[in-house]
Amino acid sequence: MEARHGPTPLEVGRLKLVYRGAEADIYSGDWSGEPAVFKFRKPLPYRLPELDAEIRGQRTVREAQLLHESRSAGVMSPSLYYVSTIESLIVMAEVSGPRLKSFLESPGADTEGVSAEFGTAVGRLHSAGIMHGDLTTSNAIVNERGIHLIDFGLAVRSVKVEDHAVDLRLIKETLVGAHHDISAEVMKSFLEGYAGVVGDDRSRRVCRKLAEIERRGRYARVE
Amino acid sequence: MKGDLCILGIESTAHTFSASVVTETKGLLSDVRDVYLPPEGRGIHPTEASNHHAAVAARVIGEALEAAGVATSELDGVAYAMGPGLGPCLRVGAVSARTMALALSKPLIPVNHAIGHIELGCMLTGAKSPLVLLISGGHTMVVSCSSVMWRVLGETLDLTLGQLLDQLGRHVGYSSPCGRRIEEDASKSHRYLPLPYTVKGNDVSFSGLLTAAKRMVDAGEPFEDVCFSVQETAFATTVEVTERALAFTGNGELMVVGGVAANKRLSQMLGIMAERHSAEFHVVPLRYSGDCGAQIAWTGLLEFRSGVSVPVERGGIRQSWRLDTVQLPWRSGA
Repeated sequence: MEARHGPTPLEVGRLKLVYRGAEADIYSGDWSGEPAVFKFRKPLPYRLPELDAEIRGQRTVREAQLLHESRSAGVMSPSLYYVSTIESLIVMAEVSGPRLKSFLESPGADTEGVSAEFGTAVGRLHSAGIMHGDLTTSNAIVNERGIHLIDFGLAVRSVKVEDHAVDLRLIKETLVGAHHDISAEVMKSFLEGYAGVVGDDRSRRVCRKLAEIERRGRYARVE
Repeated sequence: MKGDLCILGIESTAHTFSASVVTETKGLLSDVRDVYLPPEGRGIHPTEASNHHAAVAARVIGEALEAAGVATSELDGVAYAMGPGLGPCLRVGAVSARTMALALSKPLIPVNHAIGHIELGCMLTGAKSPLVLLISGGHTMVVSCSSVMWRVLGETLDLTLGQLLDQLGRHVGYSSPCGRRIEEDASKSHRYLPLPYTVKGNDVSFSGLLTAAKRMVDAGEPFEDVCFSVQETAFATTVEVTERALAFTGNGELMVVGGVAANKRLSQMLGIMAERHSAEFHVVPLRYSGDCGAQIAWTGLLEFRSGVSVPVERGGIRQSWRLDTVQLPWRSGA
């Protein structure tokens, strides 16, 4: 890619920092008149520069590709506006609404319905051969149109039972870690929605693999 | 010294046999250790390590009491590491503790070794309810406390950081623990050789990295360069998942504990990361990063204050005992 002349998208978007994530900073701004999210993978100063550049470039490209593919699979996710590997930047449509994390914490929320919808979305993603790779309750947004999956930064193409089980394991880990009181009911509704898309047989296989992965965990053996 | 709770703690989960005396108001009074060293190029053999522990147990416990200036009659309880760890090694500590509890008619207090690392770290650094990175030969985990349990937010799916460094070191003939020698070797190089960088969600995996690194050594790459590259890659993945957990929980404190916390490059990386999130960063003091009786004694004291103890006949060992299954009544106010 050649060097750019003139201002960069970061300079023209009138950006406001909204979230400082682990591997990317999220800005809200403007893209041709539309409210947009600018995801900028800044160099991480603790990582060796050559390793850092490699990882940021790789993840930016893959995220853009799989974000696009997820929409073809019928998953609601942000539409893609612009990608640049020069700045490790992805510009996408802004999705309004609270994160699933805060939605689950709000009193009187329809936990059951939203959890099932979350399961349906993940089921569609898996059926399309995509592993999200970072399915925490911070990476789903709930609004009147339904549940949207965001942050495909660790997504990979995979149809493996093991990889899909790893996705479910992270959901479970997050629920137990951060939403302990309601984790069991959320997981139950989630799996109903999930099985509704991938089928009971496949869902059972993924859950069996999930249990196997948990048993592999350190000091997890039954005594 | 009545009125001041006084606990003896015994640690014997792996290569270290250690005893320590603590009191509620004075903190650590003593911490005596004797470490089993395997022959060059070898890891810990559980039976040989337990033979070592059995041989030194009485002397180490006696020295800990003597250094603390405490008579056995002044103890309020005897704490020991019930697990997780190597069976034969754990048994020596458990037998010593049961014997003392019986002979002195004192309560017996079982302590989870991993929780011991965390509670001692909090006591020494002043951290209150931090996000914790626990990294040692037995653990590589990111945990945070919620609803009186430590909850795991991310962990290794296979090897621990300590095992990764130990197995790399043993491949060239070092004896365990190899962390310090690997760190020294790594500091002599700045040549990065690409290695597998594996982050799965909030979890890390080091087995592919270890295989690739051993192949590099066998192919004749300078060992310093391999050490440098392994450290840079493995630490970066570990810091990345820790950073994810920090961003996710929004915790304003980060603490690193466990044997590998002694590595300067790793704590440097963690410090840079914590600053990015305006989190207070605590590293357990070098002397107490590794296994020690103090972690058992101090946690035993917290437990005892909350009424935790077991009858002697139930004072066995638990080789597999995950820290996220342990209730923490002393943290209920937090």
